[in-house]
Parts: sequence; structure tokens; C-alpha cells
Amino acid sequence: MTAMPTVSLATLALADSRFPGGGHAHSGGLEEAVHRGTVSGPEQLAEFLHGRLHGAGAQTAVFAAAAAHAAARGVRPDHWSLLDAELEARTPSPAQRAASRAQGRGTLRSGRAAWPSRALDELLATTGSPHHPIVVGVLLGAGASASPTDAASVVAYLSVSGPASAAVRLLGLDPFAANAAVTALRADTERIAAEAARTAGHRPENLPGASSPALDLLAEQHQRHHREEVRLFAS
Amino acid sequence: MKSVASLTVELDGAGNTVVRQLRSMAPLTLVPRRRGTPATGGAVVHLVGSATSPLGGDDLTLRVRVGAGARLLLRGIAASLALPGHGPGGSRGSISVDVEEGGTVEYLPEPTVVTSRAEHRADLSVRLADSARACFRETLVLGRTGETPGGLVTSTSLERAGRPLLRHTFEPGRQRLRASHAHLGGARVLANEVVVWDRDPEPRSEVDWALQPLAGGGSLTTVLTADTVTARRRLAEARAVHPAGDDLTPVGTAG
Repeated sequence: MTAMPTVSLATLALADSRFPGGGHAHSGGLEEAVHRGTVSGPEQLAEFLHGRLHGAGAQTAVFAAAAAHAAARGVRPDHWSLLDAELEARTPSPAQRAASRAQGRGTLRSGRAAWPSRALDELLATTGSPHHPIVVGVLLGAGASASPTDAASVVAYLSVSGPASAAVRLLGLDPFAANAAVTALRADTERIAAEAARTAGHRPENLPGASSPALDLLAEQHQRHHREEVRLFAS
Repeated sequence: MKSVASLTVELDGAGNTVVRQLRSMAPLTLVPRRRGTPATGGAVVHLVGSATSPLGGDDLTLRVRVGAGARLLLRGIAASLALPGHGPGGSRGSISVDVEEGGTVEYLPEPTVVTSRAEHRADLSVRLADSARACFRETLVLGRTGETPGGLVTSTSLERAGRPLLRHTFEPGRQRLRASHAHLGGARVLANEVVVWDRDPEPRSEVDWALQPLAGGGSLTTVLTADTVTARRRLAEARAVHPAGDDLTPVGTAG
């Protein structure tokens, strides 16, 4: 008999929407899409989340898995600046870079209290304000001893669960329908996490990228409107 | 068909940019059009692809070197169609560009149209010296009017002084993904223009385009439209607010 796969408590805690990492302040472009009228109901939300998972979700999964792999094998501190620079080069939208760093800071503050590690201290020392998927990867890979697949799963899930709960608040959607739109992506999420784990040991410059131009435009427009009018979410 | 073409431009003693080395190989034909002088600007070379390339099975490579202080404008003449071929596998086009200190390169090809059964991969790899300047444009048309596009992967890697500025991999994906407002939003035309100059812009964004300063320097303009005429107009709008816009060859001007 094979053992059931176990999920570490840290993995559950980081994926929990009540984890105090500040993720609730971000809609991942959904608020701008709602503002434009392109997402107004559960069917459109499902399509939005599908696109988001395959672009931003896949991209962040790659870097979370790589960071978990690096933390577990014990890399030199300069590895974190390479990883940071490679993620930056794959994130052309300044609004998305800022949102990723903001969520990274929040997650780091909470994560440091829960799962301190030398890798986490070195990540903070070399990058100043690390990106969210890299923080998640280091927390799980070093402090909590979870796998690159777990780290990739957490950020891939968060890439759609955050916007889904934002949709409930912005559109008054049925929470059951919004949650069902997330869980309908199970097979895609698992495939993306497994794929990210497969490249986790690659050199930072060779990590795959996945750009989503429409999401970049939403993020940039959101940033502009955020300055000009009242918005509910930071991104 | 496997084909390797190459081009080297350098500065001569009088400050002119001259073509030092040029090798065309069908279907990639390089046609020098103008020598670069301090009065007229950079050397101009046209890249003339055969009308029926890239085909499935084609593997086309172009290597370009721009010497210290030289300036090159490399431009396409006509849109290229990525078509399925009789050969096995997809088609692949690779371009690698090295620019030495103080050198300038502009690469302005015409649009690539991805037809229904194409399987095309386009790789661009650019290495810039610290003081080099560059402008690279890419316009992708996903299918002719009313046509479902085939497979496409484009990858752009741009480094300056060994540091990554942009690693951009794009796959339009299947219909569901192309329609998603978080991916392509149903746009048929995607245009990108990366500019690495001596001045960087502030972020600027409109509904269907954004001028985005990159973290390590340089900027990327992203445009999503229904047609190439509008895409060209949006690229010109982004140029108009880029502080180095006047130094660049104007969008849509014949060379």
C-alpha cells in the first residue's frame, strides 16, 4: 500500500486566505477587468481565472518552485539576487512588480515569525524587498521542508483564489460560484505545479517564462486609475 | 531548409558605419541599402525573406554584430507568413545580436502572420554592452482575417552588460486562452517594442497599450489590437511619450 501524500501545515497556512500576508489587498487585475465590463458574472470570471493561471500563475509557480529547490539545497546568498533579477526581467509591468514585492513583504513579515531560516535572512539581505513567489518558495523549501511542487501549488492557487474572492466583493458574486471557478482549474493547477517542479533546479536564466500581455495592460491601467480615483484593491 | 545568414557593421576611420561582413543564405537575403554617415545616421540593411518562408521544417538563423560606435537599422520589407510545410516539425527562426560599446541597433521587421497549421518558434537573443542602444519590434498577427492561428512561441532575451533586462516568452495558446481577458483578451494583433536607450520613460498606459519601464533599464511597449494599422498607431503613440522617441527611426516610415 502506498502512503497518502501528506501536506505540510506550512503549505496549508500559506495558501489560506487568512494568512496575514496582505494578499487580500490585491485583485490581480480583476478590478480593472470589472471596471472595463469584461468580467461581470461567474462564466467570465472562470475564463479570466483560466487565463490568469496559465500566465501569471505559471510564471510565479516556476519561481516559487525554483526558490524552494534553491533553499533546500542551500545556495550561496548571491543566488537570490540572480533569481530576483530573472523574475524582474520576466515581469515587464512595473505595477505587477510592485504588487509582487508588496505581497512578498507582507508574507515575509508573517513567515519570518513562523518559519525563520538562514535562507530567508539571506534573501532579505540580498534583495531588500523580495518578490512574493520567491518568499513563498524559501519559506517552504528552507524553514518548513516542503517540496518545490508544494511551493508551486501554493502560488498557482493564490494566483486565482485572490482574484476570485475579489470578484465576490466587487461584483457581489455568489461565493459558491466563485469558489467553483477556482476548483474547476484543479487539473490545470496540478499540471502547472508539476511542470514548475520539473524546472526547479534550472539555472535562474534558463527558467521558463510565460507572459500575458492583456494582464500587463490591466495592471498598468489599474495603477493609473488607482491614482486618479478610488479603487478597492491595490492591484 | 537550414540557413544561416550573418551581418557585421563597424565604424570606419571617418565615423561612417560600413558593412564589414555580410552573408545571405536563401531564404534570408540581406540587402545593404545605405552606408551610415554622421549626417544621415546609421547604415540601413534590408532583410528580404522569400515569400514562402518560414515553412515547416525551416531552421533560419541570423547573426548580427554591431561594432563599437556603429549604428545599424535592419528592417523587413514585407510581412512574413508562418506556414505549414512539407518538412517534418515546425519552423524556427533565431536571431542573435551583439552590440558593442556605443553601438546602436534598430530591428524593425514587418508583421509575422501565423497561419492556421503553422508551428512556428521565433527566438531573439540580444547582448548589449553597457553603453549600447537598441530598439527591437515584434508584430504578431494571429491568423489571416477569420483564420484560426496555428502554434507559436516567441522568446526574447535581452541582456545589458551581462544582466537580464527582459526575458519574454509568449504563446498565444488555444482559443480559450486567447479569448481570456487575463491573457490576450481576444486581440488578433500583439505588438511589442523594447527600447534600451540612454533615457528611460515613465510608465504610461491606455486601454490597449502600455509603455512599461523595465526593472533593470529600458522599456517595453505592449500593444493589443484587432488589426496592424491600429497597432502601428499605438506604437507611434508610445514613441511620442518616450524621451528618446525622436532618436529612433519613426514607426511606419519606409527606410
